[in-house]
Amino acid sequence: MADFLQLLISGLATGAIYALAAIGFTLLWQTSQTINFAQGEFVMLPAFFALVAMTWLGLPFAVAVVIAIVCSMLVLGLMFKVVVVQPLIKQGVLPLVISTIALSVLLKEGVKDVYSAEAQPFPTLFPDVTLSVAGVAVSLAQVGVLVVAFGTIVALQWFLGATRIGRQMQATAQNPTVARILGVPVERMILYTFLINAVLAAMASILISPIYLAKFSNGESLGLAAFVAAIVGGFNQVRGAIVGGLLIGVVDNLAAAYVSTSYRQAVPLILLVAIILFRPQGLLGRREERAV
Amino acid sequence: MGADTILTLDNVVSGYGKMTILNGTTAAIRRAAITTVIGPNGAGKSTMFKTVFGLLGARTGRITFDGADTTRCTPRQMLDRGMCYVPQGRNIFPELSVRHNLELGGVAMPDQSRLGARIEAMMARFPILREKAAAQASTLSGGQQKLLEVARGLLLDPKLMLIDEPSIGLSPLMVQEVFAILKDLRDKGVTILLIEQNAKQALEMSDYGLVLEQGQARIEDAAGNVLSDPRIAQLFLGGGLAPAQQVA
Repeated sequence: MADFLQLLISGLATGAIYALAAIGFTLLWQTSQTINFAQGEFVMLPAFFALVAMTWLGLPFAVAVVIAIVCSMLVLGLMFKVVVVQPLIKQGVLPLVISTIALSVLLKEGVKDVYSAEAQPFPTLFPDVTLSVAGVAVSLAQVGVLVVAFGTIVALQWFLGATRIGRQMQATAQNPTVARILGVPVERMILYTFLINAVLAAMASILISPIYLAKFSNGESLGLAAFVAAIVGGFNQVRGAIVGGLLIGVVDNLAAAYVSTSYRQAVPLILLVAIILFRPQGLLGRREERAV
Repeated sequence: MGADTILTLDNVVSGYGKMTILNGTTAAIRRAAITTVIGPNGAGKSTMFKTVFGLLGARTGRITFDGADTTRCTPRQMLDRGMCYVPQGRNIFPELSVRHNLELGGVAMPDQSRLGARIEAMMARFPILREKAAAQASTLSGGQQKLLEVARGLLLDPKLMLIDEPSIGLSPLMVQEVFAILKDLRDKGVTILLIEQNAKQALEMSDYGLVLEQGQARIEDAAGNVLSDPRIAQLFLGGGLAPAQQVA
């Protein structure tokens, strides 16, 4: 039982990080029909922004984290929207999908050539202390990850629901044409979404890199986890992405312990197949109505 | 154009891609009146609204609204000038509350401090919206959703409302209610430009009728005259009209 609780907590911690990436994924889809197959690389890259700031520029970790977030907003938010999405979305969803796949290769190989092909140790935000709570060994680092990830999600939900800008973003996601008719600056709202996605990716990167080490190829598994989480939860719902992320994290961890380590990556995919078969709109998703 | 004209289209051409829908449309819409636009499917009724509101650019021709040239205006500029547009179908934000749906109608309001008062005014006028203020908009019935859309459009206190087929999917009783609201708005000085599939019922409560066919205004007259015009039956039963017989 104690083992199970430990696995559950560490699963929730990684799941919360998947959720961050999956939320960004669904936000981009909702507001701009962008399916970002480079989302995993978006989570891989910010750690290297921080590493460059620390090792090449000699800056302290805290400053490096801020630099990583700002660089992500510029490169993965603004540049991604202006250089990749804006010119390609007019050609349809598929050319954009293929371009994001190309972008994922570019980011991955770029990091390998420019920084290193080796896995890099990454400082953790939290002290590596293990507490014993009622016989269960709880890692403070994992609790810290959970708290920061959930704090970010709560802050985002608050922003989207309780501020007028957030509601204009929701309106843009739910019905861009009507939002435009009411005078909502739709283009600006889409840009905000890209910036938020970049911040979420940077947060996920800083939280996960101490666990997995920063490596150019991290995006492959992270991108898959985010994609599966978004679909399992319901592609058109932020809260679906949260549930999907947590579920994948927990299932992944439990499968590694109780099923087989070599098949751990297969279990989320089996879950994905089952969900698509029996509940194609995802656990919390809403069926999309399409006018013909 | 007389002083009682609020909106004019002068030889307006527009469409989508290579397709031309409005093909030299010329019309004058009277102020503080209800004008119903009728015509067969594909005549360009909705395209005319989109072009007037700036969602679709006019290729050539000129549009004026309230005395100013608005041919190149964006939707936001049209809102600022006092026009609102309630499109066909369901146009609410299903996952936002009724109150927040209403509030989004005020995005373009220049004095944001008045927004709360305007929302209150709309809720006083449409009590069902107050009753359901906190509910998700998707829980409203079709008619209530249409009321919400109309209220949202009225939030900015427009001079002219473009409303495209408000009666679609509504019960006959609800259609009566929506039409009564439009008449009441007209009496308060708001110009209503309406598209209706149910031409007879709409013309009966309108002041003027505008008949579009193949992207051109064929008949522009008092609603009663349009209603009794023998050419109307011919138009709706197939077999086009003779070109450009405008009665001004």
